[in-house]
Formats: sequence, C-alpha cells, structure tokens
Amino acid sequence: MHSTHQVDVIFGLSPVLFAGSLFVLTYLLIITERLNRAIIAMMAAALMIIGGVLTQEAAVQGVDFNTIGLLTGMMIIVGITRDSGVFQYLAIRSAKVVKADPWGILVMLMIVTAVLSALLDNVTTVLLIAPITLLITDTLKINAYPYLFAEIFAANIGGTATLIGDPPNIMIGSATGLGYNDFLFNLAPIAIIILAITIIPIYFIWGRHLKAEPELIEKVMQYREIDAIKDWVLLKKSLFVLTLVMFGFIVGHDYGYQPATVAMFGAALLLTLNCLPHSQEKQTELVAKSLCDVEWITIFFFIGLFILVYGVETTGILESLAHQVITLTDGDKTVTAISILFVSAVASAIVDNIPFVATMIPLIKNMAASFGGAEELLPLWWSLALGACLGGNGSLVGASANLIVAGFAERSGQPIRFLPFMLMAFPMMLVSVCISAVYVYFRYF
Amino acid sequence: MNASEAMDPNPTTLNPTDTIECASEYIMKNRYRNLPVVDENFCYVGMFGVNCLLKQVIPKAVFLKQGLENVSFIHESFEDLFHRFSAVKDHPISICMSKEIEPVTPDTPLTETMMRLYKTRASIPVVDKDTCKLLGMISYWEIGEKILAAGESKDA
Repeated sequence: MHSTHQVDVIFGLSPVLFAGSLFVLTYLLIITERLNRAIIAMMAAALMIIGGVLTQEAAVQGVDFNTIGLLTGMMIIVGITRDSGVFQYLAIRSAKVVKADPWGILVMLMIVTAVLSALLDNVTTVLLIAPITLLITDTLKINAYPYLFAEIFAANIGGTATLIGDPPNIMIGSATGLGYNDFLFNLAPIAIIILAITIIPIYFIWGRHLKAEPELIEKVMQYREIDAIKDWVLLKKSLFVLTLVMFGFIVGHDYGYQPATVAMFGAALLLTLNCLPHSQEKQTELVAKSLCDVEWITIFFFIGLFILVYGVETTGILESLAHQVITLTDGDKTVTAISILFVSAVASAIVDNIPFVATMIPLIKNMAASFGGAEELLPLWWSLALGACLGGNGSLVGASANLIVAGFAERSGQPIRFLPFMLMAFPMMLVSVCISAVYVYFRYF
Repeated sequence: MNASEAMDPNPTTLNPTDTIECASEYIMKNRYRNLPVVDENFCYVGMFGVNCLLKQVIPKAVFLKQGLENVSFIHESFEDLFHRFSAVKDHPISICMSKEIEPVTPDTPLTETMMRLYKTRASIPVVDKDTCKLLGMISYWEIGEKILAAGESKDA
C-alpha cells in the first residue's frame, strides 16, 4: 500500500530525486562503515518521513515484521540454548570423532558450522565455533587460518540451505510466502554439493600440510566434552523447544502460521520454561539477559532499511528499474535469473547483503507482470537467495559472520587480512556461484 | 586530603623490558599482587602482577573478547600449565602487562581515591597528569594503616 500523502516537492527536489538521493547516500555511508549501520538506517528512515516521502503510518506498513519477529525469536532461543554448553560439546565431540587428526578436525568443524548455520544463523554459529577452533589449533600448535577460512565458507554455505540460515533468505521467504520446506528442497541440495566441492581446494591449499605432534593430538583427545554441558536441565528444555520450532517451521506453513509466529512462540515457551522455577527477581534478571542477547543493532538496521526501501518503492523508482532490467535481458527469464545470481553475488561480496536484498525484493516483484505472474518468479528468488548468501564469501566484509571470525583471528594474533583473504575467497565464491548457475539452469529452465 | 597524602612515594617498580620469568619470580618471592611498570623516564606504562601470570598459563581462547566462558572440559596438570608458561617466559612483560588499571592524579580527593581502590581491587598508581611520571602507589595496606593511625592519634 502506498502513501497517500506524498508531497510534490521536498527541499526543492521531486520525491523521486529525494528518495533516490537518500537511498544512494545511505548505501555509500554503509559501505564506508564510518558510522554504525543501524544509525545510518534509522536516520535514513526518519528522513524519508520528515521529507514527506512517507507518512509515519506508511513507514510502519513498510516494515516487514515477519522478518523482524523471526530474527528476534531465533536470537532469544539460541541465546538461551547457548548457555547450556551444547555447541561446545558438539565442536569437541566432532574433533574427537576423527581422533583429533588436524585435517579431519577441519572437515568436521566445517560440517558442524554448516549444519548449525542452517539451523540457527551463521553469526551465532561462528561466535560459538571460532573460540573452540582457536583452542584446538592452539593446543595442536597449528595455524588457525585454514580452519577459520573454512568456517567462514561453511557458515555462509550452510546459511544458504534454509529459510532461517541467513537474513536474505528470511527476507525473501517473508516477502514471497515461500516456506521452510521450499527453501530446504530448493537450496539445501545445492548447498551440500557446494560445501563438498569447497573442501577440495581447501585440502590442496592447506589440508594436506596440516600435521600435529602425537602428544598434542592426545591432549585434544583428553578433552571431556561431556563436561562442556553446563546445565543439563536447560539443555533438555532448549532441545525440546528447538525441535518444536523446527517442526513448526516444517508443518506451520501449511496451516498458515508464519515463521515469525513459530519463532516468537518458541522464544516465549523457552523463556517460560527457563524462568518458571525461579523467583520474580531472578525471572526479571533472566528475561533481561535473554533480551540483551538479541542483536538489536541488526534489528534496528532492518527496520530502518525496510522503511528506506519502502520509501524508494513508493516513488516508482524500483518499478522503472525492473522494467530496465527486463529490457536489458530482452525479457528472457533465464538470462534474468542468471544475471540476478551473479550480480547479487558480486554485490554481496562488496556491500552488506541485507540492504541489497531489501532493494532487490520489490524490484523482482515488479517483474511479475512481465514474466506471467508471481509464480513464474520462483527461479529468480532462488537465484537471489543463492547469489546473496554465497556472495558473502567473496570478501571479508561480505557477511557479518566473516567479520566476527576475522575479529577472533585478530585478537588471537593470527589476523585474516582483507586482500589475501579476498584473493583466495573471491575465486572460490565465483566457482560456487557458477555451480549454482548450472543448478538453477537445469532445475528451473 | 588527596591521593598524594595516601600514597607510598617510593614504590618498587618493574621495567617493560624485564622478562616474564624474571618479573614472575620477583613478585612470587616477595608476595606482591601487582607492581607498576615504568619506562626509562619513570613514566607509568602499566601493571604486572599475579593476574598477568595466570593469564599466561590459561588457554588464550578464554581471554579473547567473546571467548570461551567454560573450559571445564579441559583437564590439565601443573606440568601442562608450566609448558604454556615456558612458551612466553623469555618475552618482555610489556606484551602482557595490564593497562586496564586507571591511575589517579596526586590531587584526586581521598574519597574518590578510596572508591577507585575499592573498584579496582588492586593497588593503584598515582601519576602526574602532564608528565605521566609515576609519583607513588596506593595500596590497601597503606590506606588501612593510615585510617587506623588516624583513629589512634584521635584517641591519644
């Protein structure tokens, strides 16, 4: 629904020029990283309203509360579950399964990272896996770089596989009504193939050289992973709720329950189970801690961006852009899908994929009429999801998870530098996107 | 009253170039919790103490920001801890001294100094604001003795 109160002239500019300039300026500011991205997005959103492009009511309509609710709910659930120590347990167990062999550990940590990224979100996953990786590599006295590099790739590839794995998928799912199963059936198979193929260059570049002294391997084998579980009761409650939420994602779509409802219900249920045995004072403390664990910077970034993009959408800029894209591709859906895939991947390697996807969603929606209806857009959505998620591997700034791993590497004295990382990662990312292009072409055309 | 009247003006100091092994032996032998580190111009540069020592024998992954909060799955012996210490013992203390303890200036009022001492839970350095020179140290013992002495002089 568009604003009905859009003014004709804003500070001497037409609404199109004002919204377009504000949009470009916001993008540039996000790229420079001079100011926190949440502040930039909130300021842009406020200016959209103050400038008269949107009324406040219209701005609120522009916010996708399904995305916000799903992100917040999952952040609360994962924040509480993390305290049980289950993720540390999984990481240590996976290292011991392969007898603490350095290459085996790398593969196992990649798999664990990919699976957790698919089921939780990739930022939380690397926050949990990177410290344990540094502990293991420190104990084995081997370079942590190959492990952290592999985990960045695994996190972004794993996140591609499901609706909740990566914010672009959450946004696409919410905007299109595609459910958890749609993402799982369409993206998980290719994510598994890409993960398997990604392991090959990592083996030839680093894996075959990874060696550790037997006595150091023995030290890792002496870790008692069962002791990593800090709270068995919390673990049981968390796993119960997580299972219920996953079940809700899978079956809820058919009953009209949005993922945000499922995630928020799960968060409320886990908070209830966690707080019920405690006094009122302790309950307040526990709820405050859980809510503090929510990444409010990301949430406010999303809210600001939704308003900004909605403002731009109401001026008709994105509609005319969509027509130009169709003209450029001669109305060929295959060319459009493959173009979206590659442009999304390269753009996501350079800028944050969240604002990019937020812009692309209304743009693609505007192509529906040209391609014969909304149901004809499916290959385009999968191309956008694959490009935006996998593109995050192209550079250190491509995804939030990359920056978190780089932060750990820096603090441990084994920094991941921007250019050396990109020289390796960008070609590998392009390979994954080429594989995706072949997949999209053969599966959907 | 202010910090300059509560401090010990002749504290024992360490140099940033002292090795971790040498500084550790010294603080252990004399049972110091921490000592100020000063450069060749007697400028205050940090503190080295038992916490710095402990930090060297615990896995690094614990001390990283957002690092491991639970390491109860690691079971090590004193030999393992010494092995970790051996890897850094010849390094200068400048690589691990603490810079988190904020010094007070000589004119910091006594109550503010007490509050800082309470919050820091360790001796705090008194530093000249303009020259960064270490002027003295304020410890629990100095303060405790002075408070008790004030009571005795009043009684007398």
